[in-house]
Amino acid sequence: MIQIEKLTKTYTTKHGTVTGVDNVSLEIGKGEIFGIVGYSGAGKSSLIRCINLLERPTSGSVTVDGNDLTKLNSEKLRKARLKIGMIFQHFYLISQKTVYDNIAFALRAAGTPSKNLKGRVEELLEMVGLSDKRDVYPAQLSGGQKQRVGIARALANNPAVLLCDEATSALDPNTTLSILRLLKDINLKLNITIVLITHEMNVVKEICDRMAVMQGGRVIEEGQVYDIFADPQKELTKEFISSVVSFNVPEHLLSEFTGTVVKVLFKGGVAGEGVISDMLQNYPVKGNFLHGAIEYIQERPLGVFIMELKGTSSDVMDALKYMESRSAIVEVIPNGR
Amino acid sequence: MGVEWGRIIELWPEIQTAFFQTLTMIGISLAVALIVGLPLGILLFITDRGLFLENRPVNAVIGFIVNIVRSIPFIILLVALIPLTKLITGTTIGPIAASVSLSVAAIPFFARIVENSLREIDKGVIEAAIAVGATPWMIIKDVLLPEAKASIIQGVTLTIISLVAYSAMAGVVGGGGIGDLAIRFGYYRYDNTIMIVTVVILIVLVQLIQQAGDYTAKAIDKR
Repeated sequence: MIQIEKLTKTYTTKHGTVTGVDNVSLEIGKGEIFGIVGYSGAGKSSLIRCINLLERPTSGSVTVDGNDLTKLNSEKLRKARLKIGMIFQHFYLISQKTVYDNIAFALRAAGTPSKNLKGRVEELLEMVGLSDKRDVYPAQLSGGQKQRVGIARALANNPAVLLCDEATSALDPNTTLSILRLLKDINLKLNITIVLITHEMNVVKEICDRMAVMQGGRVIEEGQVYDIFADPQKELTKEFISSVVSFNVPEHLLSEFTGTVVKVLFKGGVAGEGVISDMLQNYPVKGNFLHGAIEYIQERPLGVFIMELKGTSSDVMDALKYMESRSAIVEVIPNGR
Repeated sequence: MGVEWGRIIELWPEIQTAFFQTLTMIGISLAVALIVGLPLGILLFITDRGLFLENRPVNAVIGFIVNIVRSIPFIILLVALIPLTKLITGTTIGPIAASVSLSVAAIPFFARIVENSLREIDKGVIEAAIAVGATPWMIIKDVLLPEAKASIIQGVTLTIISLVAYSAMAGVVGGGGIGDLAIRFGYYRYDNTIMIVTVVILIVLVQLIQQAGDYTAKAIDKR
């Protein structure tokens, strides 16, 4: 649905040229929810704004639904944007227009005949659960409600793609969750492709299928959210993951353990517990749980246990190999001994 | 010194005429300023760097002309525009004739005010409209003008009050009006009564305009 090829965006400032996005290529499939995470300044915002050409890439191309947007003239680009919805961190509703008129504005942009406006606006309000707010002004709405209006506006012309620029970053955790559920619902119902950028890893964990991590304008890691959570490659990715799921034992505690401290990870398996008890029965080692959690990522369980194993080093090695043979990912954590 | 009531009654017809002359001048020049200055202000804004109809040459040319007119002292503009006034109105005296110069001065003044009002709009709202696929015309009509409405009304108030002040100078070319009355009787003839009466009328007029403007701006703002 979206092909980003060798996209680079540089900005000329008083202090010289700054590279916002550095040679990024991504392919996002139809119906996918794709998350891009990174700290501020990583280039994720520039990247998402290049997808609908709110910012024109310095080089590279952006193809949405088979259309290379960088090659369109302004009128064709305007038409293409009708099929690319976008929501924003600060909602950006027209403050002097009612909820109804804000949504009707988007429909009028597509040349919707006046007689069809009312029905469609009401349908959209129904979808985002704001039917009773039809005639109020944005100032009278809460943040979550404003974002719902933003979503209704973005979806007005049945877009194939929805871009979310830090859409939940200004919302409290509960509201964030309800907006994310709404986005997921919409994704399932309309099979719309969603691209979202965020610095909150829980957003990605909650609804994304695939993700990319950005740093310094580049994509440093990309893949299925589940796989990345299970086995992050880059330091930054690990840092982001540890912000939502703590798979670690505090450093100062580690040095107090005399045995071998290992992290055992089971993909998709609550059954992991069985592996551990089998291991403890079959090998002359003593196990001591330091930490255990089963995280649900995209509704698939990811089991993580940190334990201290005591025994002769060869027995411990055998025990670890046994767990690996039962498809656990085992990692020895150095504890400074 | 002191106010002589008899004098007020004596000159009351003159005061009345002058008052309506002032209203005529302000009315005409305000209408022209709104009709020409508003589009000009919008054009100044949307052709500026980074905006949706960015056009540096157009922006620079309009900006330059606006600055030139604004830098000419009004009293000089009044005299310099006598030929133009004659061409348009067929005469060079009276409130209608004075309205030509007042209009020329008010257009760039109001255009800058409109431009500034538009700058106060959050750029994100404009971007959201672009992202939605809105046409430039829709953005002007449904985003820029509604969002800047309250601020523009404050600007209209400011323009009217400036026009009240400028219209006092119209007397120089025989434009008439309250200000002219104050200068002719109060200043040249040391007629304190007329001086005080006209100044009081002007103060009341400006207060009323300001209050009406504030009230309207507040009443229509939905924020």
